[in-house]
Amino acid sequence: MAFYEVYSHPAVIRYKTSVCTKATVFLVAVLCLTYISPLLVAYRSQGFWIKRSTYEEQPVVRFQYQTLLVAATSTKGDYVAWSTFPHFNNMQGANLRIPTVSVREEDENHDGKLDRLIFRLQLPLKPEEQVYSVQLLLTFSYQLFRMSTVLMQSLAYVQYSSSVPGAQLFISGDLRLQQRTPLPHRGLYTVYNVSVVDGSSPFASAYDLVNIIGAYQDRNLTTVLSCPGPVWVVGRAAGSPFQLDAEIRYPMEIISYRPGFWETVKFAWIQYVSVLLVFLWVFRRIQTFVFQNQVLPTIPVPLGKPHFS
Amino acid sequence: MLTKMATSITVVCSLLNLLCLLLLSVAATTDENSTKYDSNSSVLVEQNVTYFAYTDSFTTLPPDSTTAVTHGYSSTEDPGPPSLSADPLPLSGRLPSPVTDVGRLCPCDEQRDLCDVNCCCDRDCGEEVALFTGCSIHTVSGNKQLCSQDAAHYTLGSTVDGLSELHSSVQKEINNGIFCIQSHNYVEGLSFAPPVLPTDSNFDSLLNQFANFIFGSEKISGKLSSVEHQASSGYQYGDVMTTAGENGERGMFWLPAPGVTTDCLDLSPAAFLQEQSNSCSRRLVLDQDCGTLLALNMITYTNIRLLASKKKDAAVVAVEVASVIQQSLDGTQTEVQLDVGENLRAVLLNPDLCANVVLEVGFVVKYNPAGEIMNVMASLVLGFVHADTLPLEQKFHIKYVQEIAEEVAVHHSGNPGYVVGLPLVSGKRTADGIIRSTDPRETLTFLRSAKDQDCLHGPHQRSPILFGVDVLSGCTLRLEDAANCSLVSQVLLGVLRGQNYPQYVANFGSSPPNNPMDWVPISNNSKLEEAQTCSIPLSLHLEIEWTKYGSLLNPQAQIVSIKEVLQTNTSDLALLTGGSSLLTVSSSVTFTPVSAAALPGFRALPTLDAKLPFEFFFPFV
Repeated sequence: MAFYEVYSHPAVIRYKTSVCTKATVFLVAVLCLTYISPLLVAYRSQGFWIKRSTYEEQPVVRFQYQTLLVAATSTKGDYVAWSTFPHFNNMQGANLRIPTVSVREEDENHDGKLDRLIFRLQLPLKPEEQVYSVQLLLTFSYQLFRMSTVLMQSLAYVQYSSSVPGAQLFISGDLRLQQRTPLPHRGLYTVYNVSVVDGSSPFASAYDLVNIIGAYQDRNLTTVLSCPGPVWVVGRAAGSPFQLDAEIRYPMEIISYRPGFWETVKFAWIQYVSVLLVFLWVFRRIQTFVFQNQVLPTIPVPLGKPHFS
Repeated sequence: MLTKMATSITVVCSLLNLLCLLLLSVAATTDENSTKYDSNSSVLVEQNVTYFAYTDSFTTLPPDSTTAVTHGYSSTEDPGPPSLSADPLPLSGRLPSPVTDVGRLCPCDEQRDLCDVNCCCDRDCGEEVALFTGCSIHTVSGNKQLCSQDAAHYTLGSTVDGLSELHSSVQKEINNGIFCIQSHNYVEGLSFAPPVLPTDSNFDSLLNQFANFIFGSEKISGKLSSVEHQASSGYQYGDVMTTAGENGERGMFWLPAPGVTTDCLDLSPAAFLQEQSNSCSRRLVLDQDCGTLLALNMITYTNIRLLASKKKDAAVVAVEVASVIQQSLDGTQTEVQLDVGENLRAVLLNPDLCANVVLEVGFVVKYNPAGEIMNVMASLVLGFVHADTLPLEQKFHIKYVQEIAEEVAVHHSGNPGYVVGLPLVSGKRTADGIIRSTDPRETLTFLRSAKDQDCLHGPHQRSPILFGVDVLSGCTLRLEDAANCSLVSQVLLGVLRGQNYPQYVANFGSSPPNNPMDWVPISNNSKLEEAQTCSIPLSLHLEIEWTKYGSLLNPQAQIVSIKEVLQTNTSDLALLTGGSSLLTVSSSVTFTPVSAAALPGFRALPTLDAKLPFEFFFPFV
């Protein structure tokens, strides 16, 4: 008749000792090694505290209908300029040239967030004028909501110049977010919710592109128009306007942020515990070996009937 | 939209879906002629269909209401001028109800009562179908989220004659997705929320809600012309100053400035208490503009009458001419004595030369604590403009001084430590102490590179050495000029060092001149004077060592030592030039920080001597 294992259970053997013994010292040492060394291992292997994390969000972007245009109309430095700021236009005097501007913002996937801006500007020119360079500034309202609520005003700046007079400049690009330091993980971030161009100022320095771009690039959060291939079309017919077509998409952005306390602790905990499990297993084996073989003298309480007095 | 539907949508699994497929596989084919096409509805269909795969498009109501819309204003009962009423703006009072029947939808039907070519769903096309080559729209389908939806298909076949023939059918399409909508009883869940009808009463609030950014939102505020209601009637920092004309008309005090280009913009105002120093260029046609262009004439800048304050009855302060300097063509300047009210007009001497043109204007405005202008002094530089020197550069400065300041204010370069970008404070030693010039330009300077590059000839421009900014410049020396060695050596040293070369530099930006211990002497390594053989200086290098002083939070820059390193030639000059007969003489300045860097970390480690990195407990501490 064959035997088989019908059931099994582990049995607990207790080892007893007094406080001032080698076994106590050993126990304390093992406990320290078990619980502290995983911390050191996890920390030393880098990335214990996560300090920067990323998320993906499509921003809510609106064109602010503010535009500033400067076009060089001769190689000697004549220019025409126009903006949506009345003070600027008043200052230009004879150099003011009012173009025809048409703007359309589209929500292609019907998710309630606008996806692109179609901007067309037709600049009428006198017979002796030709366009050699274009500087265009557009302002946007830019909002992020997922982690911290970011409300800011940003701009897209286009500059193109050519030695050959042009008939059309075509720009198709993305409005990309650039950040120097990560965003906070929560709260309201409205430091940059101020006008990029102070349209109420009557001073010429307020519309100086050097001042505007200099102050703008000083910010932590900026947007930049990434347009790898502007198309300069030459051969303008006499009497036809110079045409500037811009197609600016508002794409999904990967935004880096500084994780909050609980997120940091959560990831640290995951790393700590996974290393701790290995240490627990190893030191349990060592302890079992030490006490089972009586390397350190202890009093084992025999299995079965523990007699407590 | 999805959340609204959630309550009323039955989501079925794909197994059930297969069952549906079996039950509903009967395709309902409609006869093309049997559905009567309503031509009135097509007008609004084409306006509202934007995305024909959805059923959220609209059509008109029965024809009678359509006519009410189109002919409402031309009917005789309508009063002439439209009276403001609280009625919704579409006179029918309601919006068209959405069309969901795919058989009646036709996005490509753009011409009413006419056949659109290659538009197969156009009901107006009869015989013209024979001319079609393809269908611009093949399928008009309903909502793709439904498990089964209607879809109208249009295909072109060909007859035996080779002409096209239209086949159209409306079929049930089965969606095999797991999460398709089997049935829904909340019709609004699949369409846009009904819009609020604009009326005269709510139009503004709707506009504010939806039109955040529009063209023409930038308005000129009347701030500049009208007096603001403010507690103080005097000017405040940044205010535009008002001028009064001959007949009492108000204007602004302009100070030409460069705008988006370097061209002078004449209509840029000067701001109260904002010191400006503008230089801008003017493109001229000399023989036309010389006598006529106002910006070239002195009277434009001197015949200004400013209002002393923003009050309506404020006193009028006329600009006084403090000095007029005439500059000759080669750059020498002589002061001109003018009587009060006398002006020098720009005159065209010959077609290429215009005299008495304003080159530089400086205003000094004296003000009192109430914000009132006490007086305005103008100093001008007039000169000649030759046709070769166009465009013309004009410089405009404006400075503000307090009324009580009797002596000229001494500018510090930091208090106490030097501020980066401000000029070094330098002086000369006398028996009493250090004397320094109050003119901020008279300090330690360096030679600026000029266009003719010659060290010995030409006017040399110099710029002050700014704290913390390293510079390098130079000029060239022709070998044939260096024949008289001792003379050239002296001249060259003078050119490199400049006039009024100081002996002492202040420790701090605000060191008092009466305390000579706060001043550092410029040490010199050169033995030029005592050298036996004559040598020519090849480079002048100023090495300035500075350190940070004080607390970590607010460190103050302090100059520790300043050393002048003068390099002279040790070999024959001809060897140094390498045969080009041009010798490069350079001038440079270096600022070297010699302070020990502050280190991050714990000041002392009281208990944690386990060499833990300082950010070990990062989120906790």
